[in-house]
Amino acid sequence: MKTEALIDLLARGAGAAPKHAVERRLWPVALLGLGASALFGVLVLGLVPMSVMMEANWWFKFAYAVSLVAVGGWLTARLARPVQRLGWPQLVLMTVVAAMGLLGAWHWFTAMPELRLAELLGHSWKTCPRNVVLLSVPPMAAAFWALRGLAPTRPRLAGAAVGLFAGALGAAAYALSCDELSMSFVAVWYTTGIAIASALGALLGPWLLRW
Amino acid sequence: MRDDAGQGEFEFGLKPLWLRAQAGDEAAYRDCLLRIATRLRGYLRRRMQGLPDDVEDLVQETLLALHLQRGTYDPTLPVSAWVLAIARHKLVDLWRRRGRRDDLHDALDDVDETQLVAASEETGTQRDLDKLLQELPEAQRVAIVLTKVEGLSVAEAAQRTGASESAIKVQVHRGLKRLAQRVRQ
Repeated sequence: MKTEALIDLLARGAGAAPKHAVERRLWPVALLGLGASALFGVLVLGLVPMSVMMEANWWFKFAYAVSLVAVGGWLTARLARPVQRLGWPQLVLMTVVAAMGLLGAWHWFTAMPELRLAELLGHSWKTCPRNVVLLSVPPMAAAFWALRGLAPTRPRLAGAAVGLFAGALGAAAYALSCDELSMSFVAVWYTTGIAIASALGALLGPWLLRW
Repeated sequence: MRDDAGQGEFEFGLKPLWLRAQAGDEAAYRDCLLRIATRLRGYLRRRMQGLPDDVEDLVQETLLALHLQRGTYDPTLPVSAWVLAIARHKLVDLWRRRGRRDDLHDALDDVDETQLVAASEETGTQRDLDKLLQELPEAQRVAIVLTKVEGLSVAEAAQRTGASESAIKVQVHRGLKRLAQRVRQ
């Protein structure tokens, strides 16, 4: 086949390029993923009592997860294109994680020394990262599917971004049924769960994102 | 990319045409693809000196990928950067596939020297477009042949087949996607 013949074929009746191709593919996945994780989490693990949700610390925890969902989605959208500009989203990611780290450290140092370890470990440190990772599975599958229809040229990094996005969604959903209110707990265990999901994404990326 | 001199000039000529093409100007799009093909040939030939016979195959594969992914172009970026990022991705993908296969088949050293002389202009590939189209599922093949070979509008193709216009568009897209997969193997 002559390349010119292929070009004729591609150009004929090509019409305009699809608009917002990346956004149109990622948004439904984000909403679906959030719904699936939240539903799954609440059905299996139950919802925290209203009194817990009235606490400011619960909202800090939830806001942390939601900010990471946003920045993970942002990174995923940037990495879905062949040329990536990652400066801003990377900066925001580091700021969000650093802010949570500071909050956790502040909580640790202002707590009474004999209570610090109990505050850090809570009653669920063994299950928290695992639950976050488990709840990240549905959005991770959906986000990988969405990205497969786009053009990621750095599959490992794109996979890590998908993992971050899905892990944070998992964390947001898990926050609905987790009554731990210590900021040092959230800074360590939530972050660990999200980091594991992100590492999982980075492992799967080169394998799933071939085109 | 120091070995890609002339990049500025290439971009300067391409960008306005490309923006028109993205907005739906088919003549501009065809012109863009021709320019891009020439650019890709140079880019890939320099990097595939051991595989001169595969250069045109990869040019075509990259063009198909560009077409299918044209929605991911961001107008604030240079077109050439976007094009070459996809070409690089395709090249890496080829090396990875070849790397595995070469373990099983003959080493590059065994290739006849005369085959290493690259033709200076486009020679086409061994692929046969008709045969590739034949391998597509019926609905996809018909949609592509009507709109992209015979040049009917989507509305005319819809009338001819009794399918809806959006169905025709979907079949064309799916067909080209499948074509791109076939070409990659």
